[in-house]
Amino acid sequence: MNYIATFFTHYGAMTFQRQLKSQGKAAQMSPVPRALSASCGVCVRFDGQGLGETAEAPDLEGVYQETETGYRQIEPET
Amino acid sequence: MKNKKTLWMILTGLVVGAISVGLVLAGNPKNMGFCIACFVRDIAGGVGMHQAAIVQYIRPEIIGLVLGALIMSVAGKEFRAQGGSSPMTRFVLGFFVMVGALMFLGCPLRMVLRIAGGDLNAVVGLVGFVGGILLGILCLNQGFSLRRTYAQSPLEGGMISAVNVALLVLVVAAPPVIFFSAEGPGSMRAPIWLALAAGLIVGALAQKTRLCMVGGLRDAVLFQDFYLLYGFIAIIVAAAIGNLITGNFNLGFAGQPVAHSDALWNFMGMVLVGFASVLLGGCPLRQLILAGSGNSDSAVTVLGMFVGAACCHNFKLASSADGPTPNGKIAVILGLAVVAAIAALNIQKQKSNK
Repeated sequence: MNYIATFFTHYGAMTFQRQLKSQGKAAQMSPVPRALSASCGVCVRFDGQGLGETAEAPDLEGVYQETETGYRQIEPET
Repeated sequence: MKNKKTLWMILTGLVVGAISVGLVLAGNPKNMGFCIACFVRDIAGGVGMHQAAIVQYIRPEIIGLVLGALIMSVAGKEFRAQGGSSPMTRFVLGFFVMVGALMFLGCPLRMVLRIAGGDLNAVVGLVGFVGGILLGILCLNQGFSLRRTYAQSPLEGGMISAVNVALLVLVVAAPPVIFFSAEGPGSMRAPIWLALAAGLIVGALAQKTRLCMVGGLRDAVLFQDFYLLYGFIAIIVAAAIGNLITGNFNLGFAGQPVAHSDALWNFMGMVLVGFASVLLGGCPLRQLILAGSGNSDSAVTVLGMFVGAACCHNFKLASSADGPTPNGKIAVILGLAVVAAIAALNIQKQKSNK
């Protein structure tokens, strides 16, 4: 699971994770990595299969791909 | 990288614990090197919002915490002016966090420092705090949300820091219109610049590491992630060692400094603090740090705590070393009902997939 979605709310993360899981896709909630945010919110780790679902995710803040050197921002596009 | 991050958190906890012991040696009340609730309450008294003569002093530690977080967030390009996530609801939750904390006589940080001083009443408080956090987690899992934040102007995000600069000017200039306790906990204080420096250091470290008493237990329960909890434990270890060295460790229930031994109400007070703090997304310390980092919702929460503190003394809700007051017991029950209602009314219904 090398993608991370960050959210403005805990509810948004929980909804997205449940949505992916209901479709049989891998998804796990965890504290948001410090490198991505100074907030103490939560994020959802998922794999490429879930990328198409982010448009429907409530309160989505950003989507990142975990790379060997750090994180590459995918949404919102920079 | 993860080990380095964990090491930073442990070091932060050790520094916070050591500084807390140092502030007591420098003049602060015992087991009260830091206490967000007590110090916000002292500030409310210092500017005349309540007339409890023994707890009036504009505490530089609080000013330092906010400004330390501001400086660190600006230096790290992490200052984000944002807000608009149910500010009035947060005000009310902040109010009742203070009602619970002044029933117990301490915020979660002081609870930890009291445990490190051998105060077993604080262990009872910890059990209540965990219970409150579990209630909050239950609500999160049901879909509780205070809704999202939005970007705001830097001026809005920096306003709470400006207010704290004004408070610093007031306490340094000491005009006759502000209040300084001549006796009691408010009269026991470390020198201004030392207290300010301590606050700045802890504020900067807490911003960098996201140190949070509530978050530590929440993440441990929800995700089996113990990163924040390491800080919590490191504070206890450092402060306990410091207290043993300085002769301020006194194991037991009776005769603890600025504390009472009514187990039920120590428990109930911290249930309220834990419950409301999970809904707010962080403990009182964390609210100060987020406020300094530009989050105006947290600034409003701090204002709720400030007004709550004033009301606690004006309406005789706050406990003393003699124990809780009848009014305080009613207020805690009322607070639990209000927080539960806020939780229930903010459960979001999951949208069906298109």
